[in-house]
Amino acid sequence: MNTELNRRDYLKLALTGAATSLVSSAYADPTLAIRSGKAEHCIFFWLGGGMAQVDTFDPKRLGDAKSKPSQSGSYYASIETTVPGVRVTEHLAQTAKLMDHVTAVRTVNHRVVDEHAFATNLVHTGRTISGSTVYPSIGSIVAHQRGAVDPSVPPYMLIGIPNVSRGPGFLGARSGFIYLTDTKTGPAGFTRPADVDTARSTDRLALLGPLQNRFPANSTLADYRAAQVEALRLSGPDFMQHFQLGQEPDSVRQRYGGEFGQRCLLARRLVQAGVRFIEVSHNLGFINGTGWDTHNGGQLQQHLLIQELDTALSALIEDLLRKQMLDKTLIVIGTEFGRPAAFDGGGGRGHQATAFSLVLAGGGLNHCGAYGVTDDECKESVENPVSIPDFHATIHAALGIDPQHELLDGSRPVPITDGGIPIAKLLS
Amino acid sequence: MNRGIIRWISVVLVACQGVVTAKTSELTAPALNPAVRSTAVRVEICEQGLNDQDIWPDVPPTSTESFDVPAFGIDQIPPKYIDDGIRGTRPSPSMVRLSAVVDLSPGKHRLLIRARSASRLTINGTLVVETPFAPKNGGDGSQADTERLVPLDLGQGYRFAPRGEYEKIAEFETTGGLVEVKFEVFAGGREGKSPRRVEVGETVVAIAKSGHDKWELLTPLIEEIPYTDSAWEVYRARVANSVAEYSAARRAVLRGKHDAYWANRHEAAKLWIANVPEIPVPLLPDGFPVRNPIDHFIAAKFASVKSQNVHGLADNIDFFRDVKPLLESRCVDCHRGVKAKGGLRLDNAEFARKGGDSGPAFVAGQIQAGELLRRVTSTDVNEVMPPKGNLLTDAETTLLTRWIDEGASWPELPLTRDSFAGPVDDAGFIRRVMLDTVGVPPTSDEFRSFLSDGAPDKRAALIERLVGDSRWADHWMPVWQDLLAENPNILNPTLNNTGPFRWWLYDSLVDELPLDRMVTQLVLQHGGDREGGPAGFGVASQNDVPFATKGAIVSSTFLGVDLKCARCHDSPTGTFKQEQLFQLGAMLAVQTLDVPKSSSVDPVKLSAGGRTPLIEVTLIPGSKVEPKWPFPDFAEPGLATGLALNMNDQREQLAALLTAPQNERFAQVIANRVWQRFMGRGIVEPLDDWEKGAPTHPELLQWLGREFVRNGYQIKALARTILNSAAYQRAVDPILRVPDPLYSASEPRRLSAEQIVDSMYASTGKPFRTEPLCLDLNGRRDTSNAVDLGTPHRAWMLASLSNERDRPSLTLPRLQAVSDVMSALGWRGARQDASSTRDISPNALQPAILANGVMSRWLTRLSDDHGLTEVSLREQPVEVLVEEIFIRLLSRSPTMEEKARYIAWLAVGYDRRRIVDPHIDPPPHVAPKLLTWTNHLQPESDPAAQERIDAAQKGDPPTSRLESQWRTRCEDAIWALINSPEMIYRP
Repeated sequence: MNTELNRRDYLKLALTGAATSLVSSAYADPTLAIRSGKAEHCIFFWLGGGMAQVDTFDPKRLGDAKSKPSQSGSYYASIETTVPGVRVTEHLAQTAKLMDHVTAVRTVNHRVVDEHAFATNLVHTGRTISGSTVYPSIGSIVAHQRGAVDPSVPPYMLIGIPNVSRGPGFLGARSGFIYLTDTKTGPAGFTRPADVDTARSTDRLALLGPLQNRFPANSTLADYRAAQVEALRLSGPDFMQHFQLGQEPDSVRQRYGGEFGQRCLLARRLVQAGVRFIEVSHNLGFINGTGWDTHNGGQLQQHLLIQELDTALSALIEDLLRKQMLDKTLIVIGTEFGRPAAFDGGGGRGHQATAFSLVLAGGGLNHCGAYGVTDDECKESVENPVSIPDFHATIHAALGIDPQHELLDGSRPVPITDGGIPIAKLLS
Repeated sequence: MNRGIIRWISVVLVACQGVVTAKTSELTAPALNPAVRSTAVRVEICEQGLNDQDIWPDVPPTSTESFDVPAFGIDQIPPKYIDDGIRGTRPSPSMVRLSAVVDLSPGKHRLLIRARSASRLTINGTLVVETPFAPKNGGDGSQADTERLVPLDLGQGYRFAPRGEYEKIAEFETTGGLVEVKFEVFAGGREGKSPRRVEVGETVVAIAKSGHDKWELLTPLIEEIPYTDSAWEVYRARVANSVAEYSAARRAVLRGKHDAYWANRHEAAKLWIANVPEIPVPLLPDGFPVRNPIDHFIAAKFASVKSQNVHGLADNIDFFRDVKPLLESRCVDCHRGVKAKGGLRLDNAEFARKGGDSGPAFVAGQIQAGELLRRVTSTDVNEVMPPKGNLLTDAETTLLTRWIDEGASWPELPLTRDSFAGPVDDAGFIRRVMLDTVGVPPTSDEFRSFLSDGAPDKRAALIERLVGDSRWADHWMPVWQDLLAENPNILNPTLNNTGPFRWWLYDSLVDELPLDRMVTQLVLQHGGDREGGPAGFGVASQNDVPFATKGAIVSSTFLGVDLKCARCHDSPTGTFKQEQLFQLGAMLAVQTLDVPKSSSVDPVKLSAGGRTPLIEVTLIPGSKVEPKWPFPDFAEPGLATGLALNMNDQREQLAALLTAPQNERFAQVIANRVWQRFMGRGIVEPLDDWEKGAPTHPELLQWLGREFVRNGYQIKALARTILNSAAYQRAVDPILRVPDPLYSASEPRRLSAEQIVDSMYASTGKPFRTEPLCLDLNGRRDTSNAVDLGTPHRAWMLASLSNERDRPSLTLPRLQAVSDVMSALGWRGARQDASSTRDISPNALQPAILANGVMSRWLTRLSDDHGLTEVSLREQPVEVLVEEIFIRLLSRSPTMEEKARYIAWLAVGYDRRRIVDPHIDPPPHVAPKLLTWTNHLQPESDPAAQERIDAAQKGDPPTSRLESQWRTRCEDAIWALINSPEMIYRP
């Protein structure tokens, strides 16, 4: 009975004390004054394949892929950034100038099998697959918790290819994404076919009208009719105009660069429209043959991918800064794992999950260029390891979501993160 | 005997001539009479006498199976069947031999061979042409192909090799007459130890006869089979038929060996039923419709509940409308089931009236008595209820007060309607019953003949016909896929994936395997896990305790026991313990199960913050759990003796205990599922967790369970009874938002994603055409890393498209278009966990994807192969066309208002709609660009994928036989009907 009293008293305390700070049982330690972030939006880049941290955000001494035997280390020279002591690869030259708005979290780790699909699922959901339920992606959780900023637009959008890791899991279809695969076609389901103009659409609706009006107002069929009205609104000009990149000045479009940059520009427009969470996939061109999965010969042209990322990322940060939106827009670079400093037999790199970099930018965090230290081989964390739940918790906290809040899977409570603790330094 | 003289000329083969011909005499196929033209091409499968060294065997391997096809062309071989008719694994490599005696005209002909790997064509024992062994990939094979393969062009209209098959053309000359043709091909192969799938690609011998450019399949028949895309489509369906017939016969033979055992089992079950008291069928109260015993149970319950729901003043508190939702949202989470907090249950009238540890919760008419009101209004934080979240509002406490004051009426069930709705009309009935049994609505012919049929028993006759329809299997597939969490990944299965045991499910349903036998096969988990055998159920990739996961699936599916929680701790609301799940899992695993830390909850975490843990862990990590039947309440463990074939096999024991007639829980759980499938709700809800609910009609449930056993565990027998009841055949009451637990009317019920997609294809007549569900089209990967799920022709055949790698070159855009629709409607491509019900709540994406999505564009566009194109071209008044379109799509005639509008719309330009002499472009003759695992990282692959995406989004071109302005009008009408809410709700 005593414990019962304790629980009740504790809860009451928590309710009154937790108005702004994130008090919860997992990190009620008062020395950790973690504040709730003020970010309103999240743009989540996805670098499918596994970005090599040693060639991007966690450079080490130069290696040599061609010598026999090959020498482990970075493939490119590193450069200084605006944050003293923090260096990045030379191919991130534009981002380096904005590094005070960025934190490369260099000690992210998970020790699950380094297979793409499995790790992709883990980094999206923050949990390993259980077989008892399907965990929602971080985009779906954010959509579920905070809804859209503007209720007239969807909360969660994906510019990329649908897959289960990006899906809503037990939260159900309402927390799922609306997707588009590129910036030329609009969102699937909401973009009218090319041969259906407004006049034809009006004709069609006139034919549909009597078929919709056969049901009483309070019926489930009427609910569906209401959903039809909402769908029609979303496929109308108010929402669809956000996808018209032609409305942007040429200079802006050029600054963002190629298709990946255009996706980032679209993401910015969607942020302005009130979308809460946008996942932007960098899965383009395979200009190096392998995308970010730089085994063997994929290494040779990797710098082109990195430069493309650099252009788009720096353009987005600058643009958001200029529009005074950076503090309320958290940018995240996600990837399923990293790659070792050592080279494979074909001069490329294998997979590595013991330590790798995920990146945060903007979002009102106390950025420090880089967080966490890895060893000379980029293989193990030396300081401040960050688990996937911790990384997720940081994103949630930045967006004002309690990472310990319990979602309901039927009647089963499921905390948003699996015991994740936000990185205090970024949020204090 | 008139043997042709063959003089073959083939540059590519000159070099090998000596080597090969030395052996040909040994490779003569047995038992073909060279003097008689064959009536078919014999296909033999040889499993023995082959090695994995990519060398042709010295001795021609003998075949273990053979079947016939019309010509030298196959694109599949039958699955291997083992045990009692389940799918097994063929050795990789195996060899396939096609042979026939063919009559050839004199002249110099060209012969084309296509095959996935090594093949050779011999005529009268002499090698004519061959293909090499498929190369090794190296590594994971993603960068195996460094050059893009360009298929041979046989000329305008003729078919390109679809999957990167090897192909060669050779010339040869003959004086004409009968020749013995033999085409041997390797299926599968090995790279090191890794086996490749034992499949054939498009395996063909085609001939262009002397002086002709026409390519046709080589055949002993008189019939000509052009080797064009369209003729191949028809031909391959014939092959598929042969394979299906052959396979069904194989299964029947293998099962026959076990029939005696099962006949005994079913006899024993009947004997058991004869010796237990019958479930009495209640008397029918006066004035209720009746078609069979089900209606007695339903009417009796309705009459009883009606007498409890005495209507007082119109503004009285209604328990179900006002009080129950409040209790459910604020109280029942803790106050339910056997572990209710404070011993108080508020999920059940009887227990609620009794009260809990602190005394009665309420006393009818006395607002001062009882704990309920006191606790919800208490100001003491240690007493107030609910303990978590907001307190009840004043309005809510007032509501409870009034309810108690008015007598705390809590009837057994709500009375939604005062009386039963009448029967659904014939038009609604045929649509409903077809959607419910075969998953698609009637054709216009079926519709018209049913409506004009005057026979009084026509509904029963229709039900009988549908119960025997093979599409029954298609409609039941999703149920089992969901319940058993069938979750194949077409690429590296690492997402709690199973094998594609869909194929075993489908065979079982088509063969009408009794459920006890099907469950036994499932539990035994024999066969090929990658080939579709029930062994695939036992797989759960990257899962810490696969058999605990499987145990939870078995217990919820077949016993209504939800053990998901027991994966890590004891059930917080029920009686079941974690140990029971692990015991069950150990039976399925046939070994001791270790409890890992990952399948437990840290007690320190549980008590964090001083909370009393809501859950208990009584099985500590590191425990070892032995196999043991954990449900003695459902069936005595001793029952297995005498039922199981082999008592030493834990799986045999488990199967026997699950399916023993004495285990009435099993029969009732299945009966409840079948009932829910047709009636919209279970007699017990939730279907998979019976501890959480009580049966609304307990006697009916028992009766149905007995009927199921009495009829030899045939789901179809149970279905027939339910479908023939008046309860099933009642009209819809449109304002019912959920199924009435008293079944006084039917409710508007959202169709499943599969029903919607299949119906749209069936009623528009547009062919269901997608890519193959496979990312390893040329079969070069290890069997463990890729499966070929075939080219779907029903919605259930889709699966996760498995593009976790996020690569455009691994997209399947036509499948994606269908998958988008199905996902929006509640289908899950990746079934990482089991489910009994789906999320079907409406959202904006559902109507959007149906209005604008790519699949709808295909279904709306009047292309040459669209079913309504032909209909539109018929000589008929516009009224007839409108009627026909409504009947096809909605199974009803248009109303007066609809008729007027649609006739007016389609009458414009109607007389000029037909283009008399249309200019018809030949189909584009462009070599398809192969996109498969081994070439998907080539620089050209992403642009090729983009072309394919664009083509899918664009859809097929419109027909040129219809004038385009009228055609677009007609398309608009079709669009409107497809988007009608009736299209996705059951009548």
